[in-house]
Amino acid sequence: MKLLSILSIGILCSLPLQANELLTDISPKPASVKSSDSSTTLPDRQAALPSVEKKTTDEYLQLASLTDIPAGAFGDKVRLGYQLFVNTQQLRDKYVGNDLNCVNCHMNAGMKANASPLWAAYFAYPAYRKKNDKVNSFQERIQGCFTYSMNGKAPASGSPELVAISAYSYWLGMSGLMTQYNVAGPVPELSDVELVKGAKRDDFPMPAAIAKHQDITALSQLPGRGYPKTPQPELAYSPVRGMTVYQTHCQVCHGEDGEGQMIAGVAALPPLWGPQSFNWGAGMHRVNTATDFIYENMPFGKSIQLTVQQAWDVAAYINSFDRPQDPRFEGDVSKTQATYHKHQGYYGQSVAGKPILGSESYPVFPLKNTVKQ
Amino acid sequence: MKTSFYMLSVLAGLTMCNVMAAEAAEISPPQQATPAAAQLCTSCHGAQGQGIGITGPRLAGLSAEYINNQLKLFHVGKRQNPTMSAMAATVQGDNIAVVSQYFSQQPVADIPLQFRGDKVAISDPFEALAFQGDWSRTIPACTSCHGPSGVGGGQFPRLAGQEVSYLKTQLLSWQNGTRKGDVDNMMGNIAVKLTAAEIDGLSQFFANIK
Repeated sequence: MKLLSILSIGILCSLPLQANELLTDISPKPASVKSSDSSTTLPDRQAALPSVEKKTTDEYLQLASLTDIPAGAFGDKVRLGYQLFVNTQQLRDKYVGNDLNCVNCHMNAGMKANASPLWAAYFAYPAYRKKNDKVNSFQERIQGCFTYSMNGKAPASGSPELVAISAYSYWLGMSGLMTQYNVAGPVPELSDVELVKGAKRDDFPMPAAIAKHQDITALSQLPGRGYPKTPQPELAYSPVRGMTVYQTHCQVCHGEDGEGQMIAGVAALPPLWGPQSFNWGAGMHRVNTATDFIYENMPFGKSIQLTVQQAWDVAAYINSFDRPQDPRFEGDVSKTQATYHKHQGYYGQSVAGKPILGSESYPVFPLKNTVKQ
Repeated sequence: MKTSFYMLSVLAGLTMCNVMAAEAAEISPPQQATPAAAQLCTSCHGAQGQGIGITGPRLAGLSAEYINNQLKLFHVGKRQNPTMSAMAATVQGDNIAVVSQYFSQQPVADIPLQFRGDKVAISDPFEALAFQGDWSRTIPACTSCHGPSGVGGGQFPRLAGQEVSYLKTQLLSWQNGTRKGDVDNMMGNIAVKLTAAEIDGLSQFFANIK
């Protein structure tokens, strides 16, 4: 696999890793971290699993409609999960420290294939991670999202928010499997303790009619899971070219300075960099991850598709600006870079003669009113 | 972290947010005299751009940025309407900004805002389309871009409370390609996927948000 070099455009940069290396977790082994520990000690779980290749023959799960969510306490959790997912701003200052909503990266409320759908993620966890030498449950993965993508603070294990998002994810996935394998009746209810674990485990209560068709390994690799991997670009990716792509295709929604589009006090369209966007620990700050998302899902509604080269270039551009600090930062940008950023990204580097990214980063988990003062 | 750099960004954000908050709260500005450049517009759009039934759509509640851009699209023929093309031609130069500013500052009725997720199970198919879209046809929710209850902002026009006939005409124009001028034909791409019944239903739905 060819190495990408962006040295040619005068950017101080270590050679990016080969693509297959990027699929592995680069976090160091934390010293006996518990899932409920503070955000700064949570390991980075953002690149947990390799992408599922997208094939033209792929058929995706056909999910039940939101109108089919049952009445009762279990249905209430599923409903709350949906509501938190599309309006995550209701957790602002409690667990959320930026203007984003989960749905910004997981299109169609976490239902859309190839946009990291919740239904596929649910069957991919718990997942053993060699680098941190532990099994990450589904709720621990969501905690990672709050810590990094939402620039906030992870809800404690077993909290109602994590139960609700887990319940919603499970309900979506199980409803789809039941439809596929003609299993009648409502989605079986699970206890909170079961819900937050995820479904990739031998003791998961999988209906026999489904289990006989697919084992848990197959279920953890459902077509449409994650973002499909984008081919390598012909030219080394370039934020300089990416700026043109951004101005032509992205700026009308995401703003001249990546600030998004505020309507009626909420970011109708998400900020991509700056104090209100994801932080330097989020998966999306990696150029390859952002490329995969953009190529498949942007412009919004996939009204047109960028070329592979345009997607890489604009992902580089978006991630060449400063954003909230990496929550694992302990006062030394180079050290944070060396420990956590051995991948395709610009943390710890100077792009186009600007200050080193990370040296002037915005605060982690700021309260909303302090950001705007 | 350099405080000065951060503060500048924060101040910039603050300014923007104040503007947005004012729009959101729909605080009525003090009555202002209609500028000469906007006089002609008022015969069809109303003295305060409040719209006059089928005669002219509401301009109040649209952003200055949007009105400005639409006038220019009429000038170059990317929007076509026999009456409006002629009328838009009378607004040129600095008057484009004057007219845009004036109408964008006119008050609209205060409406309760419905945010995405406020309702989970939505039985009305057009309300569902507005708030959840139909991704089986790659149609995003209208409110993804047009904001809560479709109140609009920036280049995304306010849909809430707009004249029903106007909304319908515009969706049809996007669909048949006689209205153009947005980036990547975003709106045309969505409109071609809508059925006639959906165009009717969505127009009614947003017009009824008052």
